Amino acid sequence: MLQDLRYRLRAMFRHKAVEEELDEEIRFHFDHEVEKYMRTGMTEEEAKRRARLVFGGHEQVKEDCRGARGTQFIDLTLDDIRYALRQLWINRTFALVMIATLALSIGANSAIFSVVDGVLLKRLPYPEPQRLVRIFLSSAAYPKFPLNPFDFLDFRARNHSFESVAAFTRGDVQLSDSGEPIRLNGFGITSGYFRVLGIKPHLGREFDFTEEIPGNGLQVILSDRVWRTQFNADRNIIGRKITLNMQPFTVVGVMPAGTEHPGNDYHAVAYGQSVDVWWPFSFAGDSNRRGSHFIEGIGRLKPGVTIEQARAEMNAIMSQLGREHPNNDAGWSVLVIPLHSEVVGTSRRMLLVLLGAVGMVLLIACANTANLLLARASARQREIAVRLAMGAPRLRVVRQLLTESLLIALTGGALGLTLAFGGVRALVSLLPADFPRAHDIHVSGPVLAFTLLISIFTGILFGLAPALQASHTDPKQGLQQSGRTSTASRHQSRLRSALVISEVSLACVLLVGAGLMLRTFLNLLHLNSGFREDNVLTASLSLPHQRYKTGEQTARFYQQLVRSLNTLPGVQSAGAGSDLPWTGYDENAGGFTIEGKKPAPHEEFHARYHMASPGYFSAMGIPLLEGRFFTEADGKGAPWVLIINRAMAERYWPQEDAIGKRISFEDTPKKDSDWMTVVGVVGDVKDQPNSLNAEPAFWWSEFQASEPDMSIAIRTQSDARQVADGLRDAVHRLDPELAVADVKLMNQVVDASLSTPRFTFVLVGLFAGLAILLAGIGTYGVIAYTVAQRSQEFGLRVALGAQRRDLLQTVFAQCARLAVPGTLLGLVLALSLSRVVQTLLYGVSATDPLILTGASLLVLTAALFASYVPARRASLADPMRTLREE
Amino acid sequence: MTGRIELPQGTLDLLILRTLLPGAQHGWAISERVQQLSSEVLSIQQGSLYPALHRLERRGWIKARWGTSDNNRRAKYYELTPTGKRQLEHETKAWRKLTVAVQQVLEGA
Repeated sequence: MLQDLRYRLRAMFRHKAVEEELDEEIRFHFDHEVEKYMRTGMTEEEAKRRARLVFGGHEQVKEDCRGARGTQFIDLTLDDIRYALRQLWINRTFALVMIATLALSIGANSAIFSVVDGVLLKRLPYPEPQRLVRIFLSSAAYPKFPLNPFDFLDFRARNHSFESVAAFTRGDVQLSDSGEPIRLNGFGITSGYFRVLGIKPHLGREFDFTEEIPGNGLQVILSDRVWRTQFNADRNIIGRKITLNMQPFTVVGVMPAGTEHPGNDYHAVAYGQSVDVWWPFSFAGDSNRRGSHFIEGIGRLKPGVTIEQARAEMNAIMSQLGREHPNNDAGWSVLVIPLHSEVVGTSRRMLLVLLGAVGMVLLIACANTANLLLARASARQREIAVRLAMGAPRLRVVRQLLTESLLIALTGGALGLTLAFGGVRALVSLLPADFPRAHDIHVSGPVLAFTLLISIFTGILFGLAPALQASHTDPKQGLQQSGRTSTASRHQSRLRSALVISEVSLACVLLVGAGLMLRTFLNLLHLNSGFREDNVLTASLSLPHQRYKTGEQTARFYQQLVRSLNTLPGVQSAGAGSDLPWTGYDENAGGFTIEGKKPAPHEEFHARYHMASPGYFSAMGIPLLEGRFFTEADGKGAPWVLIINRAMAERYWPQEDAIGKRISFEDTPKKDSDWMTVVGVVGDVKDQPNSLNAEPAFWWSEFQASEPDMSIAIRTQSDARQVADGLRDAVHRLDPELAVADVKLMNQVVDASLSTPRFTFVLVGLFAGLAILLAGIGTYGVIAYTVAQRSQEFGLRVALGAQRRDLLQTVFAQCARLAVPGTLLGLVLALSLSRVVQTLLYGVSATDPLILTGASLLVLTAALFASYVPARRASLADPMRTLREE
Repeated sequence: MTGRIELPQGTLDLLILRTLLPGAQHGWAISERVQQLSSEVLSIQQGSLYPALHRLERRGWIKARWGTSDNNRRAKYYELTPTGKRQLEHETKAWRKLTVAVQQVLEGA
């Protein structure tokens, strides 16, 4: 076996030497043979003739020896490649057009596949990630909701499905050991959190149960990045005290690089290495009060336990809890979702649609290339006829032609790959900032394999039909016909028309897609957002509990800050709010009482809650519809006031005046101070630009509610960036140790929230553009070809008195025979795919008649445009020339 | 050329291996030797010898090296490898069995 391999390898790589040796060997034999015969008295001539007779044809013997070497297949292939290269070199322009077409479409496919591979296919960076699941609660009002800490403790204690479960919740901290204080992305985690993920600390240990006890919480685990950038990768950091939120925290562990956050829903931080520190989550409070939901569950299934089994068990536990705590825990079910689906989430469909779209571009490129090859095959009929007449088997001709198309495809693929390298970088930069696993997107091994595969696949796909067709050339006919007038068979022209029709139909589908994405993007862009984002600077502040122990202190800080911000030059209005529009804020208050109303059975009143200072609404450009904004007077000691949005007014006080109405958060409000009074109604702002409707929402006055974590909004007369320094100074005059984080223009916030639809639109648009260009080239090719073939007929018709217009009509009719069925087929395809894309759209139906019509018209125009040049050439047919040639 | 019989399929390999048993030979000598040994009854197209030699070499039954012939020319010599020797024994036995069996059938009929 080994000997065999060594032999074949030598035969292959030392091809020339082996051939020379064979030559020498045969010559040696022949000379001896001749000598032998000459000794018997023959003349040299006679002896040679005799020897040749006995030996057989030298070339035949050599060929047989090559066969015996077992490298014939490779030798033949090398021959084919040499021949193919010569052919391609002779038809350089032709080869270039095909290679460029394929490079573009293969490159686009590889680039999109890189994204699909990085985001959807690559394993999550945890051991046995298929056993990781996320745990949520679900009810009719809240389909996906965080857990209550005490419910979590019961889940942890009672389940048998999980190896371990853990919970985590966002809680940023401020690090102020040296220099300007900085905000760090922090998470409170229960013990076993990293054990669930399967990641061991690089130094130290993770939290255990003792740290869950209230009072033991001043401990911290650092991320590799913080350890390196803030603590110089100090290996003796374990046990050291660092200042977080102005309190001394003991470092107990450092996580290794590559510790990725599994993503979270509530106060979301992007998936990836986005978390800086982890602190122990402690379970304080009354375990019978389970109304507050703010921690997220994650678990690792025991080997062999399925998601369904875990889901069933968790729901059984939840029903037990519902019986034990009917006030809080009845009516919930448990969601157990594979971590991978949770991470990949909504991007999955978008990516698959993009992959489909770019696949269509590749099919169009294939059809185009096949068409070019077919056209050339008829021009090469003579050459092929000669080869067939010389005795080449038909299979050999097919093989030869397939080698040519594979060579074209592989060259295109190699070029495409270099395009993909650049393309992937561009794609990643276009991706939304919070896109899951964006850092996992590279041109990797699987992408290389994919590119090679689709190159071979396309090579065969576009090469097979022309090759089979050519091999059916009749040598006699092929030789008789002169090159120029050789006519394509009926069958061939039918095949070429079919190819163009399918190209046109695919291009039509992509144009419809691009139209829909454009419409979606424009809808979102020109959405009545409910706020005005121009000239607004935003930032976020988080007051550490250690220094701002009382609500009065917090309220006073924001009161003074807002006051001083409003005096900055160029500022029209400034305020603080618990959140900014379109940033994914989704805090809910449920179960409040509305004076004089009862909720429907099994339902409760609920609404998004926010906090705002005076100046917030005007800075954000949210209009006042009724009543008044907050004032400085709405502070501690004053009656509690609320501002609600229109959605809340319409939900709970339909056809009533909401102003003066009261709600309470006491279970049984008695005195006047238990009630809060609606003093204003503001316009609606949706959670996200593509949310269907605005949620009912209300705002407390910040000076009464005293939320420590607030966003700042400053509206200026001109460029809002100019007040950034003023903002920092104002904050540091009040508290020099406070970090001013996330300083951004509101335009940037809006821009980021539109990046997904923009990404989809740009790519589908790009693919559609490429598609229509290719389909146009395909149409042009076929029409130009037939016009060239029929030039004599056209000349005769002119000679016989036909008008130029008649000739134009003939050509355009042929174009219509391709474009109209193509477009119709495309529309049918687009309609059948409408269900797939509907969820990616906003404010437009996937079967929007305007877009379908527009796309059809565009396709038809492009086809018409493509046949204009050949049509003109036909109409200029010169009867004299035709007659001379006949 | 009358009186000669065509070589049955597969026997050429056996004859070549047998010819090489006494020692290394070059192609022409192998051809002459086969011819002599078979008393010129077997008709072997000399050309078919070379593909067979290459095939045997690939299988590792014989190996080739370049040497100098009697008249001082460079020539390719083939010799049996240990596997080749075993193969020869094996094939000789098989051949004997076959001929005996065929003979029995012929005489018994």
